[in-house]
Amino acid sequence: MAKSIDELIALIDAIPDVPAKPGEYILPELMAIAIANEVRNDDIVFAGTGLPMVGIMTANFTNAPNALLIYEAGICDGKTMHVPMSVCDQRAANMSSSLGGLVDTFGYYLQQGFVTLGFLGGAAIDKYGGVNVTSIGDYYMPQHRFTGSGGNSDIGTMAHRTAFIILQEKRRFLERNEYTTTPGHWCWDWKTGEWRPRKEVWKGTPFEHCGPEAVVTNMGTYRFDGNGEIYLETYHPGVTVEKVKENCGFDLNVSKVKGETRHPTYRELFVLREFVDAELIFLPQKVEYPPDVLKIINS
Amino acid sequence: MRKLREKTKKAEILTLEEAIKKHVKDGMVVAFSGFTGFNRNPVALTWEMIRQGKKDFHVIDRHGSCCTWLLNAVGAIKIYETDWMGWGEMAGKLDVNMERHYKRGKIILEDYSHGAMAMRFLAGAIGAPFIPYHAPLGSDLYNNKYDALGKAGLRDGKHPKIPFKKYIPMEDPFWKDGLVYLLPAARPDIAFIHVAQAGDKGTARWRGIGTIDKELCFAADKVILTCEELVPEAELRKNPEQNQIPYFTVDAVVPQAYAGYPSAVPFYYDYDAPFMRGMDAASRNEEDMKKWVDEWIYGPKSWEDLMTKVGVKRLLELKADSVIGYSTRILRGKKPAPRMKMPLSVIRSGY
Repeated sequence: MAKSIDELIALIDAIPDVPAKPGEYILPELMAIAIANEVRNDDIVFAGTGLPMVGIMTANFTNAPNALLIYEAGICDGKTMHVPMSVCDQRAANMSSSLGGLVDTFGYYLQQGFVTLGFLGGAAIDKYGGVNVTSIGDYYMPQHRFTGSGGNSDIGTMAHRTAFIILQEKRRFLERNEYTTTPGHWCWDWKTGEWRPRKEVWKGTPFEHCGPEAVVTNMGTYRFDGNGEIYLETYHPGVTVEKVKENCGFDLNVSKVKGETRHPTYRELFVLREFVDAELIFLPQKVEYPPDVLKIINS
Repeated sequence: MRKLREKTKKAEILTLEEAIKKHVKDGMVVAFSGFTGFNRNPVALTWEMIRQGKKDFHVIDRHGSCCTWLLNAVGAIKIYETDWMGWGEMAGKLDVNMERHYKRGKIILEDYSHGAMAMRFLAGAIGAPFIPYHAPLGSDLYNNKYDALGKAGLRDGKHPKIPFKKYIPMEDPFWKDGLVYLLPAARPDIAFIHVAQAGDKGTARWRGIGTIDKELCFAADKVILTCEELVPEAELRKNPEQNQIPYFTVDAVVPQAYAGYPSAVPFYYDYDAPFMRGMDAASRNEEDMKKWVDEWIYGPKSWEDLMTKVGVKRLLELKADSVIGYSTRILRGKKPAPRMKMPLSVIRSGY
C-alpha cells in the first residue's frame, strides 16, 4: 500500500473511530493510546523518554493537537514530524516556539509552575504513587542500580499532575519502595523521619497540591483516592482483576473498577502506526489491519 | 574561597592531541557538553583523553553521555556526581559498565536530580556559592544517609571542588514559600564542549537546543572546545545574537569535523543509533567490551582513521538535512522515515 504521505493524511478521517478488537493491536499500542487519553488540549506537558514520548505525540496527533510539549533538554512546543529517540533529538525541536536549555525547562517552565502534566516512566512504584528509578537493594550495595532520577523527581513533584507508565510485576508494585526517587501522595518527612501525607510535607510550598494522578501499566490503568492510595480503575482486555492482584506486591484496592480499559480505535491505531512510530522504533511488531479497514486504506 | 579570574583568556587553536596533553590531568573534575548520548557530545576529546591514559576523573554532569560511557568502558571515572547515569536513552539506557564498577566498589555515585544539577550549574555560572531550589521533598535524594561523598569522607574541605555539604534544607525566609533546599554551585575544573562553529578567537555557536553548555563554560575554570567548523571570527560577529559562548571563557579550540560522532550535531549530522546499540551490546559482556575498546578506541591511528572505519556510506546516511537539521535517510528502526512535509498536529489544528 505504497501511499504518499498526503494520501495517508487525507485518509485519517475516513478510518472508523470505533474500538478495535483484541488481537488487532499489541499491548504497547493500547498503553500508548491510554497515555494519549490523559492529555488535555490545553495542557503543558513535560514528558520523559520512551513510551511517554510516543504517548504524548499520539495525543498531539489526535485528541490534544494544541497541547504544548516540553522536552527536558530545552525544547518548548516542539511540533514533531518524526518520532524522537531522545528528549534532545532535533526531531523533537522541530518548529518549536523557542529553544533554550535545562535552566529554561526546569526553572522558567517547571519551577515557575507552568507545567500542568508530567508523563514519566519508573522501575518500581509504591501504593501511593512514589516511584523508584534509582536502585533495588541497599543503596550503596545494590542488586540493581538504575539510571537515577534524571528529571523524574523534579517533574513528578512540580507538574500540577503526573502520570506514570510502568511495567507491572509483583516486585515493581510495592507497599514501600526501597528507595523513593519521586515521592507520591505519602512520603518521607526528613525533618522528623516520619512517613507522612505529601500535602503535609509540601505544605506552604507552591506545589502542595501536585502529585501523581494516573498510572498506566501493561495490565491496567490506575488512579488515586482521597487518601492518596492507588486503586485499579480499568483492566486491559485479556487480563482479569485476579491477575492484576497477583501481580501486585500489596493488597490492591479493586473496589472502584469501572471495567475493561477502552480498546484503541482503528483511527487511533492508524495515526500511531502511520505517523507516530512509522519507522517501527518503539513498536516493532506489526499487526495487520482488519480487512474492512484495509479496504479503506487501499481504496 | 573562589578566586577571581586572573585575566582574559586567549584561546589557542590546538589539535586533539595537543589540547588534551596541555590541559587535562588525572583526577580533574570534568563536565561535558550536549545532552545524553544523543546531542553534541565532545566524543573526540574524550576518546583522546582515554588514548593518552588520563584517568581517575570526577565527573560532575547532569547526565551520562557517550563521553561517560567511554570513560566507564575503561574504568577512568572515580567519582560520578550526576542525576542520570544512563547514557543512550532509546539506544542503550543503562550504562552497564558503570553498574559493574559500582557493584565492585570502584566508583562513587552521588545522586541529584536533573533540575537540581541544572540549578547547580547555573549557580556555578553566575558565581553564586549556592542556589535555593524546590527540590523534591520526601525523596531519598535528600535522605542524609545517602550522601556518598560525605560517607567517603570527601567533604572535609581538602578537595577544592567538593562542597562541604550535599544540600541544606531551609524555610523560605523571604516569601514564606515553604521548605526549599540550598544546593552548592557546580564548579568543574574543566568543561569539554562540542559546537557547530567557533571563531578563530574562540567565540562559539551551536544550532538546536542549548542544554546547559553556556552555564558550563562560565562555571568551569577551563574550557576546551571542539568545533565542526573553525570560521573567521569576523563572520560570527555579523550575527552576534546567534552566538552563545563568548571567547574570553575559552582556553583552546580544536577544529575537528565529526568530533561529536556518534551523537548528533543538529544541521551537521544525525546520531548513529545502530552504532550506539552496538556499544550497548558490547558492554553487556566484559570480553566483548574489551574487544570493542581495542577496536574503536585504541585501534584507529587518528580520529580521521576512526571516521574512515565508520565509512562513507554511514556518514552519508547521517548527513543532516540543512532545512530540518536531522537526517531522514538513516534507518533508525525497521522502516524508513515517512516523507513528512508538516507536522500532523499543525496540518490538522494549526498551532
